[in-house]
Amino acid sequence: MSSASSLPEAGRIPRRQPPVPNAVLGTLVFVFTELMFFAGLISAHTIAESNDILGWPPIGQPRLPIEETAVNTMALLLSGALVVWAGQSHRRDPERGHRGTLALLGAGIALGAFFVFAQGLEWAALIREGLTLTSNTHGSFFYLIVGAHAFHAIAAIGVLAWALAALVRRRLTATALTSVQVFWLFVVGVWPILYWKVYL
Amino acid sequence: VSLTKAALAMLFLALLTHPQLAAACPVCFDPREANQSAFVSMTIFMSLLPLATFAGLVLWIRKRVRDAENATRPLE
Repeated sequence: MSSASSLPEAGRIPRRQPPVPNAVLGTLVFVFTELMFFAGLISAHTIAESNDILGWPPIGQPRLPIEETAVNTMALLLSGALVVWAGQSHRRDPERGHRGTLALLGAGIALGAFFVFAQGLEWAALIREGLTLTSNTHGSFFYLIVGAHAFHAIAAIGVLAWALAALVRRRLTATALTSVQVFWLFVVGVWPILYWKVYL
Repeated sequence: VSLTKAALAMLFLALLTHPQLAAACPVCFDPREANQSAFVSMTIFMSLLPLATFAGLVLWIRKRVRDAENATRPLE
């Protein structure tokens, strides 16, 4: 009669590390679905724009603030770079690079929050000028696409803040940080495409 | 064959020679070229994007597996 405890080296077989951690793979699959969601919005926007006979944006409607949003875009791209550097610093040496990682991640979150705040101000100004969700197809698509992105940005900032809190407590694993990075880089990476399609 | 059936058959055959009258597919027919090209380009975009993304993910995972195998392989 044998039992698990009598097996030779039971419980001592080294587990092979997966080539891609489950958390990272799960985030990548989630990002893939999100990518298709935004691709659907972009596709619908492109067809609606080509279908519109009254001009895009329609005459008499406020123009979208291209220059101000370009500055916001730069802030978001810089935030993405800072989060990447934070990850590199954390993976290189979590103990010695702790302060640097904290500073980089904190600055990345601050720039991401600046982006969302500036987009909110932009929305308020556009609504005051008369562009609303129900003004026309252009307004509907603008608020739908930019709003969907802002929602994702807020969610991603929340996750980044969670990572920062875990980092402060020195409980942030490299896998968790990579997963958070993947989500934030998706939010950052999809924005220039949305800016190009919606604003330009 | 009754005359009505023959007339209906002729009408059906005549319609086959003018498919644009019954075109429900905006990719196949649209009077405005910009709209038609938008439909075509977005059809290509939406078809290729998931394939390209998935292929990229599979290739990246394969590279990670190979790197891990090379790292654990004993030196000869």
